[in-house]
Order: sequence, then C-alpha cells, then structure tokens
Amino acid sequence: MATINVNPKPTYASTNKHVWCPGCGDYGVFAGITKAITDLGLDRSKVAIVSGIGCSSAMPHAFSTYGIHSLHGRLVPVATGLKLANDELTVIGTGGDGDGYGIGVGHLVHAARRNIDMTYVVMNNEIYGLTTGQASPTSFIGAKTKSTPFGSIETPENPLAVAISSGATYVARAFSGEPAHMADMIKNGIQHKGFSIIDVFSPCVTFNNFNTYDWYRSRVYKLEGTGHDASNKIKALEKAIETDTNAWEKVPIGLFYKEDRPTYSSLDMTEKNGPLVKQPMPTKDVVKEIMEEYR
Amino acid sequence: MKNVSIRIAGANGDGVESSGALIMKVASKSGLHVFGYRGYQSIIRGGHVWYQVRLGDEKLYSHGKDIDILIALNQESIKYQKSHLGKNAIVIYDPSKVNTDEIEGKGFRLVKIPLLDIAIKVSGDPIMRNVAAIGATLKFVGIDLEVFKGVVKDMWLRKGEKVVKDNIDIATTAYNYEGVSTVFGINGDGKQRYTMDGNTAFSIGTFAGGCKFYSAYPMTPASGILHWYAAHQNKGVLFKQTEDELAAMNMAVGASVGGVRAMCGTSGGGFSLMVEGLGFAGMVEAPVVVVDSQRTGPSTGLPTKTEQADLLFVMHASQGEFPRIVVAPRSVEECLAIGAEVFNLAERYQCPVLVLLDLYLSERIESIDGFNVDPVTIDRGKLVTSNTTGERFKRYEITEDGISPRGIPGNPGTEFIAPSDEHNEYGDLISDSLSGIDEYVELRRQMHAKRMRKIETMLKNEKIFVPEISDPSAEYFLVTFGSTTEPVEEAAKILSERGMKVGVISFNYIMPMDSDKTRSMLQGKKLIDVECNYTAQLAQVIKTNTGIEIKNRILRYDGEAVTGDDLAESAEEVIKNFKG
Repeated sequence: MATINVNPKPTYASTNKHVWCPGCGDYGVFAGITKAITDLGLDRSKVAIVSGIGCSSAMPHAFSTYGIHSLHGRLVPVATGLKLANDELTVIGTGGDGDGYGIGVGHLVHAARRNIDMTYVVMNNEIYGLTTGQASPTSFIGAKTKSTPFGSIETPENPLAVAISSGATYVARAFSGEPAHMADMIKNGIQHKGFSIIDVFSPCVTFNNFNTYDWYRSRVYKLEGTGHDASNKIKALEKAIETDTNAWEKVPIGLFYKEDRPTYSSLDMTEKNGPLVKQPMPTKDVVKEIMEEYR
Repeated sequence: MKNVSIRIAGANGDGVESSGALIMKVASKSGLHVFGYRGYQSIIRGGHVWYQVRLGDEKLYSHGKDIDILIALNQESIKYQKSHLGKNAIVIYDPSKVNTDEIEGKGFRLVKIPLLDIAIKVSGDPIMRNVAAIGATLKFVGIDLEVFKGVVKDMWLRKGEKVVKDNIDIATTAYNYEGVSTVFGINGDGKQRYTMDGNTAFSIGTFAGGCKFYSAYPMTPASGILHWYAAHQNKGVLFKQTEDELAAMNMAVGASVGGVRAMCGTSGGGFSLMVEGLGFAGMVEAPVVVVDSQRTGPSTGLPTKTEQADLLFVMHASQGEFPRIVVAPRSVEECLAIGAEVFNLAERYQCPVLVLLDLYLSERIESIDGFNVDPVTIDRGKLVTSNTTGERFKRYEITEDGISPRGIPGNPGTEFIAPSDEHNEYGDLISDSLSGIDEYVELRRQMHAKRMRKIETMLKNEKIFVPEISDPSAEYFLVTFGSTTEPVEEAAKILSERGMKVGVISFNYIMPMDSDKTRSMLQGKKLIDVECNYTAQLAQVIKTNTGIEIKNRILRYDGEAVTGDDLAESAEEVIKNFKG
C-alpha cells in the first residue's frame, strides 16, 4: 500500500475546541508535543496518541493523528497493545498523575521493565482536576483539597524514582512554564528507543493554588549544565529523590536517566519479523502440521 | 457400545496424570475412542488426585460415573474412591503400599501386583511402578502390548534404548502377571484419531482463525490456552503474559484497534478485572475475543473444579449497553470450529465476542476425527485500508446496519480517535462541553442506536443464534448449553435405550438469541433444563427471550463434572415426577 499522505504538509492539530481551563498547564504540553513531532517531521498517520481519563487525557482530541482515549489508569496497557500490534507507530501516551501514578501505577512499573518503545508524558498537577479537586498520589503532605480538607497526611509518590528503579530507559522532567525545554525533553523521548517517561509539572490553575506556575518558577533548575551524568543510575536516583530530602526547595528538571537497552519488540520472537499487523495469517498447512502433533 | 472407565488415583507427584495420558495415547493408537478427565486439587505435592480415562469402541461423551478399573497408588485411593467403584470393578494395587481390607468381600476383583518391586528390579526407579500398573490395565482392557511398545518407542527413544526397554519389560511383566486377564475385550477400529483437551482445541481453532495476539495472566483453568500460545510464538503469534487481567484486557483492545486479531483469556475472577475494559471495547467497537473458562465460584471458589455459573455475568458484564456475542462451545471438536469463527464474527460486527469455556471442557481430553481447516475463511468485515477522498474519515459513521468502516492506525487518511467517551462519527468527544446541548442529545441517541443496531444486523445475517435440536419427535427434551451438552446427549441416549423418548436441545451461541425461532422450537415441548449452576441461568435467559419457563430442572453446583449415566439417573427421576 502506498504511504502517500492525504495532507502533504501535515498539520497535527485537530479542529476540536480545547477543553482545558484558561491558563491550564496542559496547553503548554499540547504545544510541546506539537513542536516535538513537527521538528521530527513525523507522518501523522504513523503517530498514535493514547490517553487515559482526566483533563490531560483529552490530549488525543487536540491532534489530527490517530489516537485512543482509553480508560482511567489503562493508557499504558492500551498503548502497549497498540505498539505490539504495530511497531512502526510512534506511540505517545498522555495522561495525568491520578491516572498514571494512582489507579494505573502498576502498569507503569511493567511497561518500564519491558522497555516498551513508547513515550509517556504525564501531566502532573498534584491534584485531581476533572473530579473537581481531590488529593492525588503526588499531592504534598498538608495539601488541603476536597478529599483532604484538614491537610493530606500521606507522603507523595516519587514517580521518577519509581520509573528509574522499574527499568525505564529514558526518564525526564519538564515544566509547562519552560515550553522550549519541555519540547526538547519530549522530542528526545520520542527519538529514544525504549520506554520514555517525561513527568511534566502542568499546573492546575483551578484546583491547586499551592503548586502554581510561580511556585515552580522560583524552584526549578535545569540539570543540563550541572554536570549531571544521566547514564549513571545511582546519580539519577539521587537526583530523583532530591525533592524528598530538600523539602522542594530546589526542583531539578531535565534528563535524569537514559540507558540503551533492547526494546521489547526487538527481543520478541514474533515482532522481530516485522510489525505484527503486517504479518500474514497462518497458512492451512501450518495448522494441519500442528494438528498432527496431537495424533 | 463397549467401554471401560479407568481411574488412576494417588497423590500429586505420583505421576497420576502422565499415567492417564499414556493409557489414552496407547488406546488411541489402537483405534479406540478416549475421554479423559482429571480430578485434582489446588496443591502442588501431596493431596489426593485422580485421572479418569474412559475407553470405548464408539465416540464417548463423558468420562463415566462408575469406575471399572481402579489403579490405587496409595491407601487414600481406596478410602476416597471406594464409593465410586462400579459393580465387579477391578482394583489394581501393590500390597506393599495398599491394604484392601475395607473393600474385601464386596464383589470387587482385587488384583495384587508387586508394582514397586517389578519397577525397581528392572529399572531401579520407583516411579516406574505406574508403568507396571498400565501394563496390567492394558491386559484387562484387551489392548495388544505391541501398541504400547510402539508408543513407548515414539515417546522415549530420544532418552535412550534403556528407557524404552525398561518400560517394555516392566509393562510386560505386569501384563503377564498372575491373576491378570482380559476382561473387557474392547477392539479399536485402527483409525488414528486426534486427542486433545478443550483449551488446546480452542487455541488451535483461534490460531487457524487468524489470532495474532493473546494476552493473559495465569489462572486455572484457562492457563492451558496461555501455555499453548506461549509455546507457539514461533508460528507468528504474539503472546504477552501481563501483570494482571486489567492489562490483559486493555492490551488486547489496544492490539485490536491496532488492526490485529487479538484475544485475552482468564477464569471468572480474572474476568471480573476485565469487565471495565470489555465495556471500553464495546464503546470503541474493537473486535476482541475474550475467554472465560469458568471454575466453581464465587470468589476464589474451587479453583480446580468446574461450574457454568458465569453465563449471566458475561452476558451483562460492564455498565451501559453494547452489542456482544456470547458463545459456549459444546465439545472439544466444537472448540476448534468455533475458535476458527469467532474472529470473523468479532470483525464483521466490530464488537467483543465472549467465549465461555469451563474446567470440564478446557481440561477434558477427547478423541476427535479431526479439524477440517480447508473451509476456514478470514472475513475482516468493513476494514478500510486507505482513504484518498480528502474528506475526514468517519470511523463511527452512522449506517443502516450499524456497522461503520474501520480504519487501522498507520494507514494514511483514516485517522481517528477511539474514545471511551461518547463521540461523534469521527470519534470526537460529545461528552464534555457538548453534552446536554440539544443537537448532541440527538447525536448521542443516534450513536448509541447505531451501535445497538448491530444486534439486529447479526440476527438477520447469521443463522447461528438458535439452539440445535437432536430428535424433534422425542417426548421429553433435555435443554442445556456448552460443556454439559455431550454428557446430556449421552444421558438422552441411555434413556432412549431404556425405552424413553428423550431428545436434546443445546445452545452454543447464546447471545444474542433469535427469540422467535427459539420460541417456536421450544414451544409446547416437555423441557428439562440441565446446567451446572444453582439459579438455572440458561433457563432464565430462555425465559427472558421467549417467555417460556422451564420448570423441570437438573442443577449441579458441587464442582464435579457431570457424566451421562449420572444425568440419566437424575433425568429419569425428573421424568417420573414431571411438573406440567
């Protein structure tokens, strides 16, 4: 089949109206993903954006590529299935902290250790936005939300440390207030062969009046130029837990960890022969041969 | 028909299952029909396990209620199996291990053979005592030892001449042992049949039907499918063991949207976790196949025992409404045929197909004549591989038959979003800022009706949604579905031989049901519902669809697999007291 694009100059944006509140960090992420795939010149028919449920999970509808808007917490297995079906697709996961670090965190661990070749952008706003403001797995101790009116008493999850120790091969953090840097993180993540996760601080201007743009702006610093060695897993973990030990005084963004390790599809004995979707159905002779094993 | 039921009983780790498998292999080679069923426990070593092998000169439909030959490998085998011994049963045992006092003088033929001694003298390996027991069993059945020799050569020559010779010497010694003689004299027709269990048959069937992707988390009794696909990854299928059933289901949906024929499988507990993903498949119209091999519930239940109590669950699983097909294959042979067809249905109607197996079908071994793969076709339905119109692709186009064109990611021009939210014809959301606005209230109505219309389309286009009737002139009809069908057919045959006119009405495809045709088949007949659950779930479904209430019922929920002779007894009782 010819792969002539219907639209020779791809515009990746859809005509859908955006659903995010004015000022939402997710606009920045939309711009960041758009810049990344534009810079890479990807054919929009070869891109699939897969989301879960939540404000950030509306992301696929902002694009004119393929996409799946799946279930809360299930974007990672859905994206995994899609990628395993067609290794030629660029699969980008887009979800939030509740989706990916709460209800779906189990899948994160396994996609990371399998090194599924996908890029997972998590819009982390430390709150449940679409359900109107309850505590999320990354909400800080003391955070006053609708579900923690007297202040959260739970230690927040550290997604970067989880990702690094689970075997993710590209682990980065970005901030919606630093769009060019974020686009680079996403672009490098897409280019990386393996499981890439980019945790993006994407402020919720409606329900989180603590972790605001200004709050982050005064704290973030870029790892690039600090001499951080992203190939050193121990150093990467140290950087990942820095905020746990310095009470979020200083917050590193940038590339924490990168490792070259064979992707799942490059090791799977079936996928090695090319994308599953392009492989032929079994011949009748193969079926007959198999039947003979049972005679 | 001549037949014999042989039960090998012992502890886990005694080689009970491999002994049963060997007997079946030899019997099958000699042209006999076989039926095997394993009674086991959720324990790896020890406990009490048995394997029942029934051999016959005609097709067998269950493993048989009463034991004709018991191989008692330990004392518990006498204690727990004595109540299952048939009249004149033969009990093979080793006096150094087993004491038969409790069954003396009851008309059983107690055959004392120093199994362990024979095994150790020849091979030095105590586990080879099973081979001695098999040797004696073959003599009682009347199978030529030459067939055994051939099978052993095929199986063990790769382990060396000595292994083969030891096997043959041990079996021969027991075959010719004092007190061992041919009792049953069942002769095979020499035809080489295929023997396999339901999980294997369903795996081969779906493989032939183009299944390219199988995702699963291990769970008895569905694990056989997992093992089969794992072992056949070198045949162009991708098997993925997942972290849980949530992932198994959602990966299958992802792969299905990606354009490959994708399936996931589990038992009821795992299916509980799959339910949300099933609804997702319904909403995005992903053609996935989902297998629930049922075991005794609720909850963890009896993991190694059977039941048919998930029927209503799979029919109604998930919030909201969407079209689905529910099918329960009725035999090992039908697992092959239905396996080869389910993906055509899933892709033709772009909906989930739910396959109901159960432990009794998944793990029963039957000999079958074969699988005619030549007529198997692949119908991918309204699959569209390109769009050069320049117009935006309507993945969820509202059509008269409810089925929309289906694009595949990677192909140019058919870009769309598959959303779990309600959506328009392109896959754009109408759930957020648009819901409740008049135009979109109407659109929601139309989109939902579009999906649901597929049910009418499938009922119109397919002939499969009616039960099968065996003998329309019979006086009574046993009504059943899935794995219980074959034992029910055997029961009907037994009753007919006793002079009663009993037929069978059996369902494989249960949902959707062609209500009119089913009603006219059932109407005015004396019906007896037979199924393995407490609440007569099939009878409930029949009543909902046809208005016909089946008041006479045989319901089993003890976890044990039903047999023809056992059901015949119950049916005779029900007929005697038939409620009009």
